[in-house]
Amino acid sequence: MLQLLKGVSASLALLMLSAVAQAGTVTVYTALEEDEIADYVKAAKTALPDVDLKVLRLSTGDLGARIIAESGNPQHDVIWGWAVTNMLDPRITALLEPYEVKGADKLPASAKGTDASWFAATGYVTAFCVNTEVLKAKNLPMPTSWKDLTNPVYKGEVVLPNPVSSGTGYMQIAGILQSQGEDKGWQFLKALDGNVAQYIKSGSRPCKAARGGEFAIGGSLAFAAIKSIEEGFPIKMVIPTDGAGYELEASGLMKSAKNKADAKRFLDWTLSPEAAALYTSYKELVTISGTAPSKAAQTAGFPADVAKAVYPIDFARSARERDGILKNWQTSIGR
Amino acid sequence: MSIAAVEVAERAGFRLRRSGNDHLLIAAAIALPCLALLIFFVFPLAMMLWRSLVADDGTIGFANYLALARTPGILKATLNSLTLGLATTAVCLSLGFVLAYTMTRTRVPGARIVSAVLALPMLAPSLVLGLGLIFLLGRNGLISGMLGKRIDIYGFPGLLIADVLYALPQAVLILKAALAHADARYYDAAEVMGAGRWRQFVDVTLPNVKFGLLSAGFVVFTVTITDFGNAAVIGGDYAVLATEIYNQVTGQMKFGIGAVVGLLLLAPTGIAVYIERVAAQRQFGGGAEGAVPPQLSFVPARDIPLSIVTGLATLSVLAVIGVVIYASFMRLWPYRLTFTLKHYDITLSGGYAPLWTSLLVSLFAAGLGTCLLFALVYGIRRLPSWPAKIVYLVAVMPVGVPGLVLGLSYIFAFNIAGSPLSVLYGSTLLLALCNFYHYHTQGFLTMVTGMRAVPPALEEAATCLGSGAAQVLANVIIPAMSPTLVSVFFFLFMRSMVTLSAVIFLVTPSLGIAAVSVMRLDEAGFVSQAAAFSTCIMAVVCTAALVMQLALKRLARGGRR
Repeated sequence: MLQLLKGVSASLALLMLSAVAQAGTVTVYTALEEDEIADYVKAAKTALPDVDLKVLRLSTGDLGARIIAESGNPQHDVIWGWAVTNMLDPRITALLEPYEVKGADKLPASAKGTDASWFAATGYVTAFCVNTEVLKAKNLPMPTSWKDLTNPVYKGEVVLPNPVSSGTGYMQIAGILQSQGEDKGWQFLKALDGNVAQYIKSGSRPCKAARGGEFAIGGSLAFAAIKSIEEGFPIKMVIPTDGAGYELEASGLMKSAKNKADAKRFLDWTLSPEAAALYTSYKELVTISGTAPSKAAQTAGFPADVAKAVYPIDFARSARERDGILKNWQTSIGR
Repeated sequence: MSIAAVEVAERAGFRLRRSGNDHLLIAAAIALPCLALLIFFVFPLAMMLWRSLVADDGTIGFANYLALARTPGILKATLNSLTLGLATTAVCLSLGFVLAYTMTRTRVPGARIVSAVLALPMLAPSLVLGLGLIFLLGRNGLISGMLGKRIDIYGFPGLLIADVLYALPQAVLILKAALAHADARYYDAAEVMGAGRWRQFVDVTLPNVKFGLLSAGFVVFTVTITDFGNAAVIGGDYAVLATEIYNQVTGQMKFGIGAVVGLLLLAPTGIAVYIERVAAQRQFGGGAEGAVPPQLSFVPARDIPLSIVTGLATLSVLAVIGVVIYASFMRLWPYRLTFTLKHYDITLSGGYAPLWTSLLVSLFAAGLGTCLLFALVYGIRRLPSWPAKIVYLVAVMPVGVPGLVLGLSYIFAFNIAGSPLSVLYGSTLLLALCNFYHYHTQGFLTMVTGMRAVPPALEEAATCLGSGAAQVLANVIIPAMSPTLVSVFFFLFMRSMVTLSAVIFLVTPSLGIAAVSVMRLDEAGFVSQAAAFSTCIMAVVCTAALVMQLALKRLARGGRR
C-alpha cells in the first residue's frame, strides 16, 4: 500500500511539474506559421542567450479565444505576429502596454499603432490557389482577378473561406468592399456567390481543397499557396489584381508581463536587421523599410513591390465595421 | 454472563465495527466522485453560465441571448442540427445494434476483429476521419475516380457519414454492455410456450436492452449535435448549431454568445431524467441470479444477413482509416503514389515527444476515470431516490458540452489569480481531468448498463452470509463488472489520446500533446506528416491496448489460481 501511495504521489508530482514557471523566461503567444517560428526562435535565442523563450502557437481564431479567456490572469508576456484586425479589438488593446519598440522608425505609419501599443513587421496577402490539373481537365482559363471568378465557367469550382468563422475570409471581403466601395462591393460579392461551391470554415482549407483536386480554385492566403507549391502540388498562386486584401501580423507587450525587460528585448529583436533578413525567406510582405525584396515573394511570382499589388486596407475601419459587415453577409449571402 | 451471551455480544460488536467500515466505504464511493464532478465539471460549467450573462461591454443581463436569437440563420442551423442528430441516431442505433448483437449473441466468426476495427474511429484523431472520407468519397476521391464522375459528399451526406463513423463505436460500446448478459431460461421458456425466434427477440431481448438502447441513442444524438470538427471539414455549407459556437468564439472572439449556444446544446441532456427512470426499473433478463448464459448457435436465416451487414460496416470503417494510413506512405497524395517514409520524419519542433506525454495523460485519465466512475455507479445505487436523480443528471451532462466550450470553461475556472485551484492550470493533471470529464457520460452510461447485469440476489446472498461491503465488492461486483470496467478504461484511454477541441485551450508552450501536434502539422500545410503522426498515434494506442489486455489476462489467470 505504501509503495502504491509513493508511486501515486511520484506520478502526481510528475504531472504537476509543468505548472511551475521559471524566472528569466518570456512566454510568447503567436499565430505565425510553424516552420518560420522555428527559424526565428533559433536566431532569437542566439541573439538573446540569457532569455528562455517559450512559444505557444495557435491559429489566429483559437489564439484570440485563448487570450481573451485568460485575460483575467494572463499567462503570456508578449503577443507576436497576430492578425491586426483581431489585435485592434478593444478587449485586446486594453491588455497591451504601449512600448516604443526599437526600430519603429523604420515602419510605415500604417504598420504601427498611434499609441505604440502594437506594431507589425510582416503581413500576409490574399491569394488564389489554382489547381492547374483541374483547369486542364475541365479546359478552364487561368483566372487573374476577383472579377474573373464571377465568370460562369467557374460555377461550382470556387471555394472560399467563410468570413463569419475565418479571419482570412473577412480579410478577403473587407478588401473587396473597401476597394470597390459599399454598393458595388456588395453587388460584386453576390455575383461571386453564384459561382462559389462552398464557404469553408478556415482560411487555409480552401487551398487544401484546391490542391487535392476537390475544386479548381481555392481563395486563401499566399502562405498556403507557396507551401503547396513547395510540397509539389499542381498549384499556381494568383494574387487577384483587383483589391487583394491583406492582413498585418501585429506584436505587442502585455501590461501583465512578468518579465517586461526581457519581453521588450525580444520585441526589439523582432525588428532587428537580422530578423528582417529572416522574414524575407518566408514572408511575401515585410513592412520594415530597407529590407531586400522577399525571396518568398519572388519565387511565388509576386511583383517587385508587393505593397503596390495589394489594396491599402484601412485596418481600424475594417475592425470597426466587422460586426455590421458579417451580419449583412449572413443575411444576404450566408448559407 | 453466559458463554452464549458473550458470543452474541462479540458477534454484535464485530458486526457493528464492520458495518461502520461499510458505511465509510459507501460514503467515500459517493463523496469522492461527486466532489470531483463538482470541481471539474459543475464549477467550470457555472463559470460558463456566468459568461453567457456578461455582454461584450461588461454589462450583466440577457443581451447575449437576444443577440443569438437575432443572429441570421440561427433557426435554420437549429433545425439542421436536429435533422442531423435524429438521422445519425437512427443509423447508429440500428447499425450499432446489429453489430453488438452479432458480436455478443451469435456465432458469426471474427467478432474480435470486428470489435478491434470498430475501435479505430475512437482512437483515430478526428483529422483522420475527415481526410479518409475526402480521399475516398471526395470529388477527386478514389470512388469518384472509379466511377468517372465527381460525386459531391460535402454537406448533409458527408456530415451524416462522418458523424455515424464517429458515434457508432460509442453506441456499440454501450449496446455490447447491454447485450453481454442474457439468461437462457427465458428463451427456453419462450420456446416451450411456442414463441418463434422473432417473438423471442421482440418480447425477451428488446425489453432487456431498452436501457442500453436509450442510453446509446442519447449519447449518439448529443455527440452529433455538439460536434463541429466534422462539420468544419466535410459539412460544406450545411450550417449546424455547433458551428455557430465556432463562428462566434473562434471567428469573432465573442464568448458570450458562444456560451449561450453551449448552454442551448445542453438542453437535450434533460432527456436523461427519463433515462434515469428507465434505469431504476429492474430488468428481468440478464441480471437474474443463477442466469444461464444462452448456448450460441448458428442460425443461417439470421446469421448470414447479420454477417453481411457487419462485414460491410467493418470494411467501410477499415477503408476510411486505411486510406489515410496508406496515403501517409505516399509521396504526394493523390498525384504521386510511390512509397516513401519521408513523412514519418516529423519536422515539427519536439518531434514525437508529445506522444509520450499524451500516453501519460491518457493512462492517468483512464485509470482515475474508471475508478471514479465505478465508485460513482456503485455508490449511486445506495443513495435515496432524489439525490440519486440529481447525481445521475449531472453525471450524464458532460456529453452535451462541446469540447471548445469545456476547454474555455476550464480556463475560466482554473486560471483565477489567487485561487488555490489555479495551481492545476497548465499541468498535465488538468489535461487528464479535462479529457476524462469530456467523456464522462459515455463511461458513466456504459458503467450503469454493466452494473445492471450484476445479479442483485447474489449480492444479497453474499451479504447474508456475512460478507462486508468490501468483500461483496471484491468477490461479486468487480468480477461481474470486469468486462465493462475494461471497456470503459480503454474507451477513456483512446479518446484521451486523440481528443483535441478542449485541450487546445489548455496546452502550454512546454506541454505539447499528440493531438495538438497533428493539428499543428495540418495547419502548417504538412497534411501527409499529420497523417503519418496520426498513424503513429494509432499504432501506439493499439500496442498499448494489446499489452494492457495481455497483462489483464495474466492477472485474471493468476487471480483464479
